[in-house]
Amino acid sequence: MTDSEIQMVVAVVRPDKLGEVKQALAETGAPSLTVTNVSGRGSQPAKKGQWRGEQYTVDLHQKVKIECVVADIPAEDVVDAISEAAHTGEPGDGKIFVLDVEEAYQVRTGKEGTEAV
Amino acid sequence: MTVPLQLDAGAIASGVNNVWVLVVCFLIFFMQPGFALLEAGQVRAKNVGNVLMKNMTDWTLGVLVFFIVGAGFSSIVGGLTSPGGFSVAGAFAYINDPTAYIGWFFGAVFAMTAATIVSGAVAGRMNFNAYVFVAAAMTAIIYPAVTGMTWAGGLLSGSGYIGQALGVGYLDFAGATVVHMVGGLAGLVGAKMVGPRKGRFDGNGNSQPIPGHSMLLAVLGTLFLAFGWYGFNVGTQATVLSASDGSLTFMGGALGQVVLNTTLGMGAGAVAAMIVSASWQGKPDPLWAANGLLAGLVAVTGAVPHVTWWGALILGALVGALVLPTFRWVVDSLKIDDVCGVFVVHGSSGAIGTILIPVFGVTATGGYTFLGVDQLLMQVVGVIVIGVWTVIATMVAFKIAGAIWGLRVSEEEEELGLDESEHGVSVYPEFVAGGSREGPTVSADGGLAEEVSDD
Repeated sequence: MTDSEIQMVVAVVRPDKLGEVKQALAETGAPSLTVTNVSGRGSQPAKKGQWRGEQYTVDLHQKVKIECVVADIPAEDVVDAISEAAHTGEPGDGKIFVLDVEEAYQVRTGKEGTEAV
Repeated sequence: MTVPLQLDAGAIASGVNNVWVLVVCFLIFFMQPGFALLEAGQVRAKNVGNVLMKNMTDWTLGVLVFFIVGAGFSSIVGGLTSPGGFSVAGAFAYINDPTAYIGWFFGAVFAMTAATIVSGAVAGRMNFNAYVFVAAAMTAIIYPAVTGMTWAGGLLSGSGYIGQALGVGYLDFAGATVVHMVGGLAGLVGAKMVGPRKGRFDGNGNSQPIPGHSMLLAVLGTLFLAFGWYGFNVGTQATVLSASDGSLTFMGGALGQVVLNTTLGMGAGAVAAMIVSASWQGKPDPLWAANGLLAGLVAVTGAVPHVTWWGALILGALVGALVLPTFRWVVDSLKIDDVCGVFVVHGSSGAIGTILIPVFGVTATGGYTFLGVDQLLMQVVGVIVIGVWTVIATMVAFKIAGAIWGLRVSEEEEELGLDESEHGVSVYPEFVAGGSREGPTVSADGGLAEEVSDD
């Protein structure tokens, strides 16, 4: 799929699936990750909110974004693990993207490249 | 202090005492925002509106039910369980008697305190309609029966059947058991019957924490409650001026006894919980200290005029120290998801504090006296009678509610949060439509938002 040795998997999933995704990633051998609370819009229908009898539309849904950088483990495995753990079958399960990473450095040790991941 | 007067001493005493009662009622009413904040802080942000709605329902629906049914039912139970007898017309005479309204209101603020405790135990997963039914049952039947058996002269009082058999009346001054244990036990039964929140216990049955969304709200609510509690305890000493033979006597000693014991119980409860939490968890925990503060208040609520100052201190410290281990026992051994710990704060603390009243008895001059084995026996019997009634009556109420509406929301609704699924609101809305420049909101691959969201 790509020449890069290091790849980043970016997944946007349901917040309540975070626990299962973390578990699945650990079992896949890729326990390191970064998680951010995000809001976004995709295939999930907009929600209606109410305030004093007036409706408003909320088309940004709360999700968590998981970033996971891997070198030794195939990104495909990580993608499989996340998509399996985060799946409900309803619109709004999220998306996963795989990006090439040019270089990596570990702050504590100064290691570079795949060693740093 | 005795002051001779030309004026009608009786009228002055009555006026001062009634104004005092009204003022303490307003203080006790202020426990409602306390409960609302305490519970709101201990749930997830997605369930805050539901908790607030339940607390408002407890008070607003509760006062209606307690006026039409509850207060009269209490008198009937009092008459039925004592040789005095009763008439239905007499029991409900307050409804058309303006001179009875202050007394009714005094009863109502206590009744609503008992009712509002339950919501803290069942937060985050209970069907709202079912909850409304249970709240009505609490204020119409469950709580009034207990006041009927005690303060209204029924079963457990000196003139009731059990009271006469044992030769003493049940001591619970302001309602450590009558109000708080009833609420705490009803909450425990409710939490058991509704079942734990999703994710509260893992596959092996081990508890998984679901942290509340704001410790600030929880602790502020605790302090609001403590403020209102002075009305609850000190106000139950409803006689400020006593009139006899045209002269007035100020009841400073009686008032002082209850205000001091209330304060010492509160302080000892919080300090003990702080110490236990520090030794258990390594660091003193504000939420445990807050729970200990309330537990200490509950423990002395029945005891304040009956025990020595050091007795109140010991009672507060004892239940404060027990808060953490008892809560862990409810969660880890009973596997009951009592979200706000209402069983330990209101239930077990009220029972312990009330049973031990005779052990710390105080004389009129502030000295120590044991109140007797009969009194001790009466306290145990009273706690058992009130406890058994509360558990059974609450089970029936939840069974009926469950049969009509179902006790729980669906798993999807629970996950979404009760604010949205039960009330269609968001307490902390982050993004609204504002900012979109033209027309209807677009959903990236779901078409126009307006078209897809009409479900």
